Amino acid sequence: MKLLDMTLKYGNATHDYPFSPYAVPEGFRGKPEYEYDLCIGCTACAVACPSNAMNVELNEAKDKLVWEFDCGRCIYCGRCDEVCPTGAIRLGQNFETAVRFNKEDLIETGELELEHCLKCNKAFTTKKLIAYCVQNFLKVGWTQEVIDEKTKYIQTCPECKKHDAAGLITDYKGARR
Amino acid sequence: MKGDKFINKLKEKITVKDVSRMPEEQITITVDRADLPEAVRMLYYDMGGWLSTMVPNDERAINGNYVLYYAISMEGGKMTPEDELPPEDKCWITVKAYIPAHDPTYPSVTCKVPAAVWYEREAYDMFGLVAVGLPDPRRLMLSDDWPDGLYPLRKDAMEYNYRPDPVDHADEPDYDFMHPEGSGTLDIPLGPLHITSDEPGHFRLYCDGDTIIDADYRLFYQHRGMEKLAENRMSYDQMAFLAERVCGICGYAHATACIEAAERAIDMEIPRRAQAIRIINQEIERLHSHMLNIGLACEVTGNINAFMHIFRIREYSMELAQLVSGGRKTYGNVVVGGMRRDISAKETKRGLELLDIMETQIKEVWEAVMEDDSQVSRWKGVGILDRQVARDFSAVGPNIRGSGFKRDTRYDHPYDFHDAIDFKVIVEDGGDVFARETVRYGELLQTISIIRQCFELMPSGSIVINHSKRIIPNAFALANNEAPRGENIHWIQHGNAHKVNRWRCRAATYNNWPSLRYQFRGNTIADAALIVCSMDPCYSCTDRTTLIDVKTGKSKILSHDELKRYAQTLKNHPMKNM
Repeated sequence: MKLLDMTLKYGNATHDYPFSPYAVPEGFRGKPEYEYDLCIGCTACAVACPSNAMNVELNEAKDKLVWEFDCGRCIYCGRCDEVCPTGAIRLGQNFETAVRFNKEDLIETGELELEHCLKCNKAFTTKKLIAYCVQNFLKVGWTQEVIDEKTKYIQTCPECKKHDAAGLITDYKGARR
Repeated sequence: MKGDKFINKLKEKITVKDVSRMPEEQITITVDRADLPEAVRMLYYDMGGWLSTMVPNDERAINGNYVLYYAISMEGGKMTPEDELPPEDKCWITVKAYIPAHDPTYPSVTCKVPAAVWYEREAYDMFGLVAVGLPDPRRLMLSDDWPDGLYPLRKDAMEYNYRPDPVDHADEPDYDFMHPEGSGTLDIPLGPLHITSDEPGHFRLYCDGDTIIDADYRLFYQHRGMEKLAENRMSYDQMAFLAERVCGICGYAHATACIEAAERAIDMEIPRRAQAIRIINQEIERLHSHMLNIGLACEVTGNINAFMHIFRIREYSMELAQLVSGGRKTYGNVVVGGMRRDISAKETKRGLELLDIMETQIKEVWEAVMEDDSQVSRWKGVGILDRQVARDFSAVGPNIRGSGFKRDTRYDHPYDFHDAIDFKVIVEDGGDVFARETVRYGELLQTISIIRQCFELMPSGSIVINHSKRIIPNAFALANNEAPRGENIHWIQHGNAHKVNRWRCRAATYNNWPSLRYQFRGNTIADAALIVCSMDPCYSCTDRTTLIDVKTGKSKILSHDELKRYAQTLKNHPMKNM
């Protein structure tokens, strides 16, 4: 009987959801939201992701870098949000991630333009990542000459840097400064 | 130094080759493999130890041997209130024995200390180490059609994502269930899904009429190979999230235990504020887990009304978790060296309000349940865990506290912020389902008080240390943690390059399963589900039930709903129309 009294006392415990929205507290870890314009393709999120929900890979034609997020694998830990240098990934408040019948709908992608190496002309990173670095160079207060040298340096792929280490050091003095 | 007196006593009978301490209260002694059973027995029965975990390890790359670590928690036998060690003597003693790679055998400890039975069966499954004289050498973890001679956790055995081809269903070997002697017993398989927790496991109940005379069970249908996965592919930053997914209810306790083991192995102190936040999260987990269990114990005996009320109150604990961690179930905020997420003053204020609401309502609903005689009578005298059985099998958590043992790892080996907090270990003497549920109710109130104290005493400062410490390859340590179901033990040995060499995760229920067989004996079929439920298993059995009458050879398959209905109403016995 006491239990029935409690039912009367506390009344309805359920929410109207899904007929009215369900409010989640501030700081709730919902679905990661991707801002394409901010993404520079640095792959930090793909390295950090514990469950391999985020991957950054070349597309089949090898002319674009594809950022891919599979919501079906996501564990909502927020590591991507933590490591993203530009804030392109932020955890949102969205917890409604179901799709109907087609698992492909869970996948989100973003294609990024590739940068080619000055020496061997091989694609090795994204244009936006280089632009991001150059932008940061401007903030340091170097002279234009130094910035140009450094820009050349970062436009060289890691393999060319390795093969031609001695030459590069003499070519781009700014790189060591 | 701590533990010296145990080692001196041990040295009177056994040659102790080497003693090392790291960290200070975890002592590792090396003995010859022939002395292993006697050394463990002396520590366990003569000096008041409990088997915390046993870690088989493949150290062929390090020293050419396999190694066994029997970690024994020295805390006193606790059979009587006086029989307990003073706090300054409590420690862990790990008995280490080398097993040469060309002869992977060792004398079984189980003959002298029954608690080791599952560990030694697992050591065979995973490493191919043979315990000579082990009374029950059947497979434990691997499926029956797993290829012979493939031992997954050996470093050179396989990749973590290797899947052997499944055997055709018709050729699948049968698991050899233990069967009691004599005629007239009924063989009742419960499985492969459990009534209360809907998780896989297979039980055979041997019955005389309505009474269970013995039981055997087969678990690990869901073995996911997490230890192998972590060794192969994960860094410590990723491991905490994997560890949190060991369990669907008490995952956070695993995450902290795993990370704390990694921290302890290199003697890393984390900030007090981070410690307090870890405790808050763990205790929130205990709140929702205990409410879940009490609710289910009502539901499985047909008291749906109480179940609904308890789940309504449980929702507040989920809200609290969401508030302080950003997730309802997976808190995901532990990292090596501290925490990822701080708690704000606003969250603290709302948290304290929620605690007040929960405290009043839990008391109210428990009072109502206690007044219900038909409910209480279903719980009383059912599924008694005998004190000697509990002692022999090193049971943990509310399961053993319901049998009158003052055994709580927060009290025996305080970790994190627990040294600053006042709390009472709830102990009941009945040993039955009623005692275990009463312990859980008492712990709910204690937990609320612990969280409140943490909020009030919250130290200020940083929540994460500066990264100055590096991991030391091959350093190892264990970490303890009182999860809602009992003590979780994680053992970690560091490897190279920010990776783990061996991670041994021992969930609380692992120590409780072997004694369940004795809890079943003498009870009725209708109570079987309740007994399993009151143990609060991490994963378990019974969706479909086959009844076999051994005399007539007749069998019957019961659906989940049929058995559930019978457990709730006690009407229309399932074997009536056989």
